[in-house]
Amino acid sequence: MTVPWRKAIRDFWHERARTVLVVLAIALGISAFAAVMSSYAILTRELDLGYLATNPASAVLRLDSIDDETVKAILQNPEVSDAEPRRTIRGQIKAGPVQWRNLMLFVVQDYGNIRVSTLVPERGAWPPANGEILIERDAFQVAKANIGDAVTVKTVNGVEQPLVISGSVHDVGQAQARMENIVYGYINLATLVQLGEQPKLDQLNILVAQNKFDENHIRRVVADVEQLIKSRGHEVWRIDVPAPGKHPHSDLTGILLLAMSSFGLFVLVLSGILVINLLTAMMASQVRQIGVMKAIGATRWQIARIYFGQALFLGIAAVIVSVPLGILGSRALCRYMALFLNFDINSFAVPFWVYVLVAVVGLAAPLIAAAYPVWSGTAAPVRVALSDFGLSQTTFGASAFDRALTRIGGTLSLVAVAIRNSFRRRTRLALTLLTLAAGGLFFISALNVRASLVNTLDRMFAARKFDLTIGLANPYELEKIQTAIGNTRGIRRAEGWFQTEASVANSNPFSVVALPADTQLLDLDIIEGRSLAPGDTDAIVINNALAGRENMRVGETVVLHMGAAETTWHVVGLSREAFSPAVAYIPLGFIQQQHPGMVNNLRLSLDDSDADSIDAVKASLDRNLEQAGVRARGSATKAESRFGFDQHMLMIYVFLIVMSTIIGGVGGLGLMTTMSLNVLERRREMGVMRALGATPRTIWLMVVAEGIVIGVLSWTVAAVLAWPISKGLGDFITKVMFRSGLDFTFEPLGLLIWMVVSISLSAVASFLPAWKASRVTVREALAYE
Amino acid sequence: MINLKAVSKTYETPAGKFAALKNIDLEIRSGEFVGVVGKSGSGKSTLLNMLAGIDRPSSGAVAVAGTEIHALPENKLAVWRGRNVGFVFQFFQLLPTLTAVENVMLPMDFCKTFPLRERRKRALALLERVEVGAHADKLPATLSGGEQQRVAIARALANDPPLVLADEPTGNLDSVTATSILDLFRRMANQGTTVVIATHEADIARVIDRRIEISDGQIHPQITQMFSR
Repeated sequence: MTVPWRKAIRDFWHERARTVLVVLAIALGISAFAAVMSSYAILTRELDLGYLATNPASAVLRLDSIDDETVKAILQNPEVSDAEPRRTIRGQIKAGPVQWRNLMLFVVQDYGNIRVSTLVPERGAWPPANGEILIERDAFQVAKANIGDAVTVKTVNGVEQPLVISGSVHDVGQAQARMENIVYGYINLATLVQLGEQPKLDQLNILVAQNKFDENHIRRVVADVEQLIKSRGHEVWRIDVPAPGKHPHSDLTGILLLAMSSFGLFVLVLSGILVINLLTAMMASQVRQIGVMKAIGATRWQIARIYFGQALFLGIAAVIVSVPLGILGSRALCRYMALFLNFDINSFAVPFWVYVLVAVVGLAAPLIAAAYPVWSGTAAPVRVALSDFGLSQTTFGASAFDRALTRIGGTLSLVAVAIRNSFRRRTRLALTLLTLAAGGLFFISALNVRASLVNTLDRMFAARKFDLTIGLANPYELEKIQTAIGNTRGIRRAEGWFQTEASVANSNPFSVVALPADTQLLDLDIIEGRSLAPGDTDAIVINNALAGRENMRVGETVVLHMGAAETTWHVVGLSREAFSPAVAYIPLGFIQQQHPGMVNNLRLSLDDSDADSIDAVKASLDRNLEQAGVRARGSATKAESRFGFDQHMLMIYVFLIVMSTIIGGVGGLGLMTTMSLNVLERRREMGVMRALGATPRTIWLMVVAEGIVIGVLSWTVAAVLAWPISKGLGDFITKVMFRSGLDFTFEPLGLLIWMVVSISLSAVASFLPAWKASRVTVREALAYE
Repeated sequence: MINLKAVSKTYETPAGKFAALKNIDLEIRSGEFVGVVGKSGSGKSTLLNMLAGIDRPSSGAVAVAGTEIHALPENKLAVWRGRNVGFVFQFFQLLPTLTAVENVMLPMDFCKTFPLRERRKRALALLERVEVGAHADKLPATLSGGEQQRVAIARALANDPPLVLADEPTGNLDSVTATSILDLFRRMANQGTTVVIATHEADIARVIDRRIEISDGQIHPQITQMFSR
């Protein structure tokens, strides 16, 4: 090893405490980046592999019924590699005396021969025997039951039937039961009959033979299949073509992880600021050494290489520390995401490209950060460098700003000194403030984004003036229902709506809600055009999700496929429903032209909207509806609907808090480095103060006060920028994840909390440098050059 | 060896222009040991800086060992300096994180004048020559002032330069150590190295070949003395 390299290493060893701080800060940034990139690689691979391993259906067709002969005929089509009939049926499930839960029952003809959208048996029995039900593993929490429990199940048209939960399965393709607040159950055909249902299958899972990931090809094949089914006298109610080869949550996961990666990079950039501060200070302290090296024959590039070497060393050390940390972090993140998305990770192997990327980014970041300080630090001509008089020669008082500072502090000399000292190295101060303020900004933004998400949801749910939704098994006469409602206490207002589905050409279906003209239970947030009005016949109001998905605009005429019929509508209004799926609103009058007086959905506003009161009304209404011959398909309270949204939002909130903690950590390390450099550079000055009678405690207090001044300044910067940054960040996240805007609200508590955090962080970060400063003897301090 | 023609150096200072050297003409022969004597601020360090290419003249020409150094760009000048000039400073200016032998190896590493394997061997030999071989692996902070200056002299000789410049090399040493350091320079000159030292101490007549008195940036010809040895 050549001598210049030895110098590079020993200089760092000499500055080991500060070097460790900077390495830790860079390592934090790289760890965050490595964790997120590894998670991205693992999750996208495992999610799609796990999903593909189930041989997911290319398309799902909902029919009136399907028979074996038709299936055989479909399988004659060489473009179809497999077709498997099933049945999906809505129902309710109750474990013990607790209330009914929404149930999605899947009926499989032959559990021993599932070829498409396969299930993975987890625990207990497989396949389910007659009178038994398997529950999706994530749905046990919703069902509030365990394997071996007896439950009561009823389907929309059937009877209440006791079944036994005999096992659990993992159904990779289903959305997380907890989020959807639904129980997924799996039974056989015989059990379906026990439930009072016809033993028919009405769903066909199709797998195309070629081009499995080409959605257009799939749609063409499915169109042929649809034609064949219709030609055999069956009806096709609905066709779903999921994104080929992709888990339903794959895109969302990818977006979330990429957003995390960009934040990881941001942390890395912030940690680069510490490199700038460290190297600038180190080079400033070595100006004369640089002059000597030049005097004995070193070129500028030779000297620059020494310091670039040090920056490289910082990067190497940080990468070594952060790769295992990043891997550990990625495992934790992957496990959390796997739990959240309800899938299994078979391998945590991190692809080689992630290591290469992390190493390149980790090594490049400090080198890039070092470029300016190294190049400018080696620029001084030999004579100037040799005549450098050390670090304490910075002139304070030359500028008007300095002089203005002398008016701050009043008689509190300690505060005055702290304020003036903090402004002596302004570039360093600015860079330190940047890292600390970034932590504060993220923290305040996290609270603001959370408050805004809550506000947005509040506004969305405020438009829904009903407390309880009851879905009916079939369309029923409103008169019949009104009797049952009249017999149920606690209902303030009830409206009968009609909910169905529609689609535009070649797209997946969306919900259509038919509203009474005088509805008082829905107050749409119209952002363009108008709401539905009495007398409307072909008017339709679309929500922002539908407008975005199908590119519909107010004033346009659209053709919708509703069942077998094609209908033409005039888009009169656009409603804003943040985070909602695509929905269209039409006048109930349109439905009642075909089904006079019929509704299939009840919206109820109750006298009391606490959970117990709602449960009581629900139970009583269920009974009264049964007595009136009306069967409920399922129900949802406002709180239950809200729960799923809150769970999704929690993920964003936790992410922002974690990021602000990491950035705050980098900021704290940055402040510690800055304070340590400030103390080092002013050692002689402190010696003078000690000689003049300052006690070690005074010196200690002075340094801590300087740290706190920087903390307060960083808080001020964060507080000033918090509003626009929070709003921009919140809008960005919700736009990317939900294609929706945010009703921004500012959370003042965030400012208060961050003030306490930043002052505490500053005090803690400056504690050690202050303690070291107070320990230096007068003789040592005065001898320091 | 050294030829200065009409060299002037003026610095811009907040207080106005300051002429550090005024129209200097100077010739130094190869192997000569020259003492530049003057008070603090007289211009002797500036003169040495001109000879080393550390500073450039405002006007005039500086030729050292046949090279017009005032015309060289900074990087070429650094390489030239590394190979042709050994510089000894008043405060030794050893790099604190390098051992004595590493400090001596440093110019060889920068200029690549000797093969990598030979550098340590040569550095040790130089340290032996200046009588601090026993301290080769010590850090500068553990050496006395005299020992540090000897290491600095060994470093100045690392690339076997034809010219050694020393700025107040004994200014920070006690008289006994100062005498031994001056003797060391004398021996170097005897072996053919051109040595120029700047000092404000008048008592160097016993070792130098020629004394150049400088004040207010000008050489005083009437008190430039030659000593025959």
